[in-house]
Amino acid sequence: MAHVSNICLVDFAVPAEHPLLAPVSVACGYPSPSQDYFDGRINLNDHLIKDVTSTFVVRVSGDSMEGAGISDGDELIVNRALTPRHGSIVIAILDGELTVKRLQLTAGGVVLHAENPKYPDIQVKDAASLIVWGVAETCLHDLRR
Amino acid sequence: MRIRTAETSGPALMPGSDYIAHVDVNSFYASAERAFNPSLEGVPVVVLSNNDGCVVTRTAEAKALGIPMGEPWFKIAPRAKAWGLVALSSNYELYGDISSRVMELLGRYSAWVEVYSIDEAFLGVNGTPIQIRKLGRTIKDAVRRHVGVPVCVGIARTKGLAKLANKLAKHNPDFAGVCHWESIPEDVREGLMSRLSVVELWGVAARLTKRLNAMGIHTILDLKNTNPVLIRDRFSVVLMRTVLELQGTACIPMEEERVGRDQLIFSRSFSTPVTTAADMGQVMSVYAQQASARLAKHGLQAKVLTAFAGTSNYNQDSISYPSVCVPLPLPTADPVLLHRAANSLCERIYEGVKYVRAGIMVTDLRPTGNQSPLELFENPHEERGIGPLLEAVSKRYGRGSIGLGSAGVRGGPDWSMKREMLSPRYTTHWDELLLVKAS
Repeated sequence: MAHVSNICLVDFAVPAEHPLLAPVSVACGYPSPSQDYFDGRINLNDHLIKDVTSTFVVRVSGDSMEGAGISDGDELIVNRALTPRHGSIVIAILDGELTVKRLQLTAGGVVLHAENPKYPDIQVKDAASLIVWGVAETCLHDLRR
Repeated sequence: MRIRTAETSGPALMPGSDYIAHVDVNSFYASAERAFNPSLEGVPVVVLSNNDGCVVTRTAEAKALGIPMGEPWFKIAPRAKAWGLVALSSNYELYGDISSRVMELLGRYSAWVEVYSIDEAFLGVNGTPIQIRKLGRTIKDAVRRHVGVPVCVGIARTKGLAKLANKLAKHNPDFAGVCHWESIPEDVREGLMSRLSVVELWGVAARLTKRLNAMGIHTILDLKNTNPVLIRDRFSVVLMRTVLELQGTACIPMEEERVGRDQLIFSRSFSTPVTTAADMGQVMSVYAQQASARLAKHGLQAKVLTAFAGTSNYNQDSISYPSVCVPLPLPTADPVLLHRAANSLCERIYEGVKYVRAGIMVTDLRPTGNQSPLELFENPHEERGIGPLLEAVSKRYGRGSIGLGSAGVRGGPDWSMKREMLSPRYTTHWDELLLVKAS
């Protein structure tokens, strides 16, 4: 199968959020008074991504985390380098699948909790066998959907 | 523009570094796939070359099935199901991104990183043997934790020995993935070398092995105990250097242009740091032209270009290790296209930050003769905006809905790689993000 779109996937243009040049004064006009204050636009990458090497974006499929404000189709910004703690929203590996749950470290052991009463808690029998793929830091939710 | 000259204090060691660490991702392509698909863990996995031709990466489980490297896919396909073997097309977008993440991370541990290939790098490191081993473990754990791929680390006084130490770390579970050559007692080292064939050595091809065997040199230990001058006379200076390295004399230069099997790297450390995107653009321009000339000389074209830069480890105020991996629109040696691709690094350069090194790497090389005839028209097409038009049509009506001339909509010109078993491009395409279950 030919993938025609492969031939122009690369966009060499400088993205708008990374302006390389600050606004400059017009040659024959009055210099813009704001020129000295231009510090680059707000950059969402800087704001949302603490560590570029360990941060990944994943998409949620299902409604089991609605109580945590995470809806079906939302995107999560996941940092794999973070240490999961009690209350962290984690991406855990369950039966070879990546599943999003709230991690609860209770006196009775480790629990993977769904934020939707329709789904039961999962009691992790052997805490050492639990593999946390990453810790979700931010949820991107499109309000127009 | 005058390109800044490399700083070198000796032929092999990086300035200010006592040791060289060789970091290498285990079964890189397959490990990158596993990082996003846990169901592949413990399962035999192979990754196939361009056009799903032959096996280029095997996991340990696939090796155990007796699948040789380079085996054509059609030969093993009929048995794949019975074996439970998973075969995947090369997902260059994913591997390129994972590679640049690994390299960015390695840049945090040493001011002197030489990206050697898409999945391996040399680092200059310092310290006592205890500190060195600890650093090796830190690096190994950090890559696993941050990026999700397993690496082994070999550390030694020379590059050749660092590579050998890495091999030992990979094959001998006692090392737990990190081997510091000089920490191994001499008699144990000799024992290890006596169990490894010379073919395991960096730069010793099968053909060379035959000739060495004829001289009674079978193991790495045999080679180490051979007179280097004799090796130079019978073979080459290159092999003599290998012998000298085995004997502990560093002689493989650290930053040297290399033409590998499938990559070409231009990398430099600057005597004066580069601090602006404009200057970095000039550096990239020079590298791109060098790469173009070198590719043309070897009759090769590249499919992927990686550009990277880094700040000094000794300047902790501003740390930056930008890296980009650009799939080229067509396999090319065109300086304009290479320059444009390399220049995209500049978007990630922070003005005022002092970058002490930068480089480009072109990978997935192929002979120029294998090109599709359409490449003759590559540039005019670009100028007339045909590329964006095709993209727009493909976006709207799906891939394969439009094609160029005789190369057509179907069929396999080189650039329209057949990738029927392609995993999603999880980290580079919004519509192919990794799905996590919430049900």
